[in-house]
Parts: sequence; structure tokens; C-alpha cells
Amino acid sequence: MLPLDVLGPGGPYRSRRQETIHDLPGNPVANLSLAPSLYVTRALKAMRRASALPFDARIAALARAGRAFATETIAGLTPREYQHTVSAVTGIPISVVRDATADIALAAERIHRTVENARPAGAVDSWRDPRAKDGTAVWTPRGAVFAVHAAGNHPAVHQGWFDALALGYRVAVRPSRREPFTPHRLITALREAGFGDEGIALLPTDHNVADDILRHADLGMVYGGADVVAKYAGDPRILPQGPGRSKVLITAETDWEPIVDTLVESISGGGGVGCVNATGVLVEGDPSPVAAALAERLAALPSLPATDERAVLPVMPIDPARRWDTHLRQRAAGTKAWLGGDGIVGDLGDGSAALRPAVHQLDSPFAEQLGMELGFPCAWVAPWDRDAGIRPLRDTLVLTAVTTDADLIDELVAEPTISNVYIGDHPTPWMRHGLPHDGYLAEFLMRTKTIRR
Amino acid sequence: MVERTGGEFVREMMRWHFSPETGSPFWLKRAGSLGFDPLTDVRDFDDLGLFPNVVDELRDVGVRELIPRGYGDEHRASVYESGGTTGQPKRVMYSAEWHRGSVEWFSERLDAHGVPRDVDWLSAVPTGPHNVGAMAVDTAMLRGGLNFSIDLDPRWVKKVIAEGRMDMAEAYTDHLIEQVGYILASQDVGVLFATPPMLERLAQRDDLVELVDRKVRAIVWGGTHLDADTRDLLRDEVFKNATFVGGYGGTMMLGTSVERPGLGADEPCVFDSFAPYTTFRVIDPDTGQVVPYGERGQIVVHHMSRSALLVNNIERDFATRIAPVDGGFGDAVADVTPVASFGDTAVVEGVY
Repeated sequence: MLPLDVLGPGGPYRSRRQETIHDLPGNPVANLSLAPSLYVTRALKAMRRASALPFDARIAALARAGRAFATETIAGLTPREYQHTVSAVTGIPISVVRDATADIALAAERIHRTVENARPAGAVDSWRDPRAKDGTAVWTPRGAVFAVHAAGNHPAVHQGWFDALALGYRVAVRPSRREPFTPHRLITALREAGFGDEGIALLPTDHNVADDILRHADLGMVYGGADVVAKYAGDPRILPQGPGRSKVLITAETDWEPIVDTLVESISGGGGVGCVNATGVLVEGDPSPVAAALAERLAALPSLPATDERAVLPVMPIDPARRWDTHLRQRAAGTKAWLGGDGIVGDLGDGSAALRPAVHQLDSPFAEQLGMELGFPCAWVAPWDRDAGIRPLRDTLVLTAVTTDADLIDELVAEPTISNVYIGDHPTPWMRHGLPHDGYLAEFLMRTKTIRR
Repeated sequence: MVERTGGEFVREMMRWHFSPETGSPFWLKRAGSLGFDPLTDVRDFDDLGLFPNVVDELRDVGVRELIPRGYGDEHRASVYESGGTTGQPKRVMYSAEWHRGSVEWFSERLDAHGVPRDVDWLSAVPTGPHNVGAMAVDTAMLRGGLNFSIDLDPRWVKKVIAEGRMDMAEAYTDHLIEQVGYILASQDVGVLFATPPMLERLAQRDDLVELVDRKVRAIVWGGTHLDADTRDLLRDEVFKNATFVGGYGGTMMLGTSVERPGLGADEPCVFDSFAPYTTFRVIDPDTGQVVPYGERGQIVVHHMSRSALLVNNIERDFATRIAPVDGGFGDAVADVTPVASFGDTAVVEGVY
């Protein structure tokens, strides 16, 4: 069995209290050490005392770690073994894990551009900059230690804290207990690449200790559902990363048929497990043909074990899969099921099941199901009209607006609760390194100061 | 307090608590609704399972009802209460005889660990209605030391934590640590008696850790659980100069059990009870059967002395069952942890 140690400032730490992680059929795969509260407190204290690497060294180390993560044996696992383990444990299709590996490496290599892009145009990096002679704004961190309660839905979520590392923070990651493999591998690589044991830590904990990590850090980021967002909404030190509720809007004057591929990709790309996957599809006019086309296309996706090269759907143990099925039916009551109405459980016969896509048609853009985001391809198709306005489009991570209406686009771009707007034939999961995903993290981590020397 | 065979001791206790001349009004009245005759049906430890768990009745009963008549007016009883985690506190009475015996036994166990005598104590444990504070005072005195006491109200802390007011809990703990700091800085403290949360908070203050390292030769912990990993860290990384001695007890146990001396650093913390007066059983909560040695189960506590009869009390704690020392009564327990709470299996929407 694979030992996954705590990676603290004193090096790897193996606790007596461990949690066994199983693959989908229930075979034990790894033992995850859980850090007690006292360990966490002491670890964050030691990290606070440590000094950050110089900027150039950080950038170089991130790139080096990214390459090692994607290509080298780390903590005893080859990249292939790592990818297979993640897929076998989480049910994320192997091809999605493989793409994520490459994506993480690229994100690490390009982190310089991301943080440069985020810096206010008038600010410089250092008081040593010649411009500080006459007085200038200098970009400085708001703290020293950054904590992350990471998500386990997709390996690539771990790109989300690279910015903090690049900007000089010591970073403590509490992994998801569902998928600690990616952060363990990544953090091992980052330590070896130059961040050392005090620059970055992996602090797996049980639920009771989790908050201690946030409490003893200067700033933190937490992934979770609406409950998590509500819990931390009043805390200026914490940046909650809530549900994506990504959406597609198609207005009447545009032709949807040529972009069905884009719609399918928006809903089901990457296994449909991401916050950037479309939850709602709003159609001006009759949404039925769009729903029918989506249902036909998504119905063709095969149910396969996650480690199969051709797998495109997420897999989970059969019992929770059935609970999701029941939950979905309850929530979908009163809607028209185009796909998944007779069940979403694709029984694989080995105690696990692929979660099959679902497409439901709503009769109002204000139906509450539109905000229901699930960890598999599941879309809610609703009618939309100009009277409804942008209200149904709020609280959206990525909005693909297939429209030519510049006034409408103005409104969408100006709307504070829509994080990203893609106009036209672009799938919602599209991302590019250097561009913000939910704003630049640096907007939260940094502030400007006037320096004159 | 003399050694006896188990059966003889149990029968003697039944005679004391259920004879009209010696028993307490509570038990004499309660005997009628037991459905068995303690004087004839309870012959040995294994028969204690016949008793119902009566601790919940101790929330309302008048404490004078609990005083065995056999003491006459010489009981010199003290009243103590449980922590009140599960509602209104439960009340018991400790006779002077019992308290003295309990303190003497505790002190002998500390000797076995090499805890120094003739040094002063700093006790950051609950006082007031809780017995542990009185144990601290009297044990320190018996061993030739003064006791510096910090007042600590666990009920208040539990209440504010339950309400999610962590800032207030933090402020209260800071307040306690500040007082600990004054004593550590100004007094010659040789033994520190504290709850694990207090030790954890102390560990965050480098200046206080330094004082403990310089002055304190033994740390006695108890009152709440200390998980094995945290115990290792406190002992091996934080307070490296002090001998650690743990206790697992409670007001409803009428005292404490004490960590077994002489075990290696990698062995679990084993607690031996003050047998035959206090004995443990480790049972399977589903079947009620005693689990094999080395297996985990739920702890059942029997307290049987002239002071009180509180048997078959199922604690919320789980532990590994360990053989008692020298063929003594009941079980020893290791790796005591509170019963795990199981999250519901309801689905949570969202992708994270």
C-alpha cells in the first residue's frame, strides 16, 4: 500500500492516525496520514518563520517542478502509475487525468505570465526598481502564509494556488481526502525543485482540524458548495470557491445547430466533473430542439471503467451512484427529462457505475434547478427571453453567450456575479494560462504600497 | 482498603449498599424496581451487568439521598458534578474516606512514574463542582507540594464552542494561558497538571514552553482525551524535559485511572483503573459482549465502593481492551477516543 505522509516543515511525517483510501471496487490503495491540530499549528508557525525564495528562483522552481510532476518518478510513482491511481480511486476518466497532468505542468511553467498579468499596471515588483526613486506603487503580499482547503473533483484545481507560491507566500495545502495523490505528488516535486520543506506543505487532516489550518494562516482559500461559501462569506481572510454554475445562453438570432459540438463539450468535457462545465443552457425561443439534440449526442457516450482509455464519464461506487440517481429524480420532478429520466446509473458490474448524462428541460428561466450543479454531465435547458433579462444568468463562473447583441454583452460583462464571458462558439471549459479563472488570485493576495526612496 | 477476591468484594458491596442499616436512601428505594435481588443474584463482577445504568437519575436526585446510612454523620461528603455535556449536570457525593483513598492511590501511581515529591504544582484543571481540582490540591499537598490553581470552567467553553463562537473560546483560553504564564514565570513549579487542550495552547507560546522546559519535571494530563499523535508531539517535540503521565477518569467514575508506567514510546497509552473499586469492561456496543484483548470496543465503567455504587455505566468512549496488571479485576484500556460521529450519507450538490 502506498504511504501518503504529511509533508510538513520537518520533512515527511507519518502519524498513527491514518485513513485508508480505496479504489472504486473497494481495494485498499493508500494510507493517508492525518495531522493532528498541534502538528498543524506548529507547522504553520515554522512556515511563517521561513523566508521565501527570491522571485526568479521561485519562478524557475515552479517550472522545474511542473516538468518533474508530468515526466518523472516522484515519491516512487511514475507519471503513468500516478495517473492510473487517481483514475482508479476517483473515477475520473484516465484521459482527463492525463490531460490535467500536462495542464498542471504548463500552468507551472507559465505562472510568471499569470502573476505579471495580474499586477496593477502602475505598480512595480520591488522597491529596488529605479522608478521608486520618484515614488511608485510597489506590489506587496498581504501576508506570509496561505492556506488552501483543496477540492478533489479534478486534479487541475491545484493550479489554483500556484499564484500564491509564485508571489512569495508559504503555502499549506489541506488535500481532499478523496484525492490526495495530486497534491502529494505536486508538493513533493515543488519541495525537490527548491521550495524546500518550509516553503510548501501538505497537511491532510480530519474535518475537526481543518479549520485550524485556516485559523493559523494569514489568508486562505476554500473550495466547497453553497454551505462553504455561506460559512466564510463574512471572513475577509478567506476566499471561498463555490459552485461554478456555468451556463450557455443562445439568443434567437443565432443559429445553434453548428455549435452543438461546443454545447456537448461544455456539458461533458473533462467528464463533466468541473465547475466550468455547463449546468444551464438558456435558449431564446423554443428550447426543445436544443434539448433533443443534446440528449441524442450525450446518450451516445459509453459507460466504461474510468481507467479505460475510451472512458469519458465519471465513475463511482454503485451505492452512492444510486443515491445520486434518486436525488436527481427528486430534484427534477416536474421537468421534462430528455435524457436520464430512466436513470443515470451505468452499472459496470464490478460494484461501480458510470454516471450517465442527464438533460432536463425546464419551463422557466427562473426554475430553481438551473443552479443545480452536479459532478457528472447534467444540463438544464430552459427558455429565455429579453424580459427575463440577465437575472437568470447571474452567479455564473463561465458564461458562453452565443449572441450578436452588443448591448446584452455589455450587461453580461458588467455583471459582477458572472466571472468570465465567452462570446460565441467557445466551450465553457476553455481556459488559458495567464488569464483569470475566477479573477486573478493575486487580487486577493496582494496590495499596492507607495514607496519613495 | 484491603485486597479481596472479586466475588467476596462484590458481595460485600451489595450488602453495604442494599442493607437498610448501611445503604443509601437512593439505592434502598431503587432496589424495589431492579427486577432482581442484588443480595442474592449479584455474586461476582460479571453479574454487575444486571444493573441498569442509573447515572441519568443523578441529574435530579437530592444528593443527601446518595449518602450511605452506614457512615452515620461521619461521611464528611463532598458534592461533585459531571461536565454537563449532555444536559443538566449529574451529581454525586464523595465520602471523605473515598476521596482520601483515591488521592493516595493516585499519588502512588505518580511515584511509579517517578513524578517528584516535595515540589510545587500548577494545576490548570477544572475546579468548582468538578472533582479533578480537589484531586490536584490534595495530591500536591500529600506529596509535600503547594498547589497553584487556575480556575477553568469547561461548561462555559463547551457552550461557546457549541454556539460556534470560536473567537470567544479563544479569548477565554488566552485568558487562562495568561494566568498560567504568571505562575510559571514567578513560581518554582515542578509538576504541571493540565488538560490536553491547555497543553496544546501552551505549546503555541515559545516563552512558556521555555519556562516549562526549565522548571517542570512532570506533566500530568487528564480531563479530556489526548490522541496518540498529539501525545507523541507534546512529549517528543514540545515539552521534551518532562515526564508525561496521563489520566482517564471522570466524576461518574469517582476518580481516575492512570497511565501504566514502563511502556515504550511506541506503545499505546494504557490506563489501569483503581480496582477493585473502579473497573472497566470493553464491550461490543452492538452485542454487549466483551471484546477479545487487543480489540476495540465501548467502555463500561463500574464504580463500587462504600462511597457509591455506580455500575454498568456505558461511557461514550471507545478503547482497545488490554489485560489488567497482575491478573487484577476488569480490563485495562488503551487508546481511548470519543465515539466517532458518523456523518449522514445524504448527497451534497456541487462538484467540489
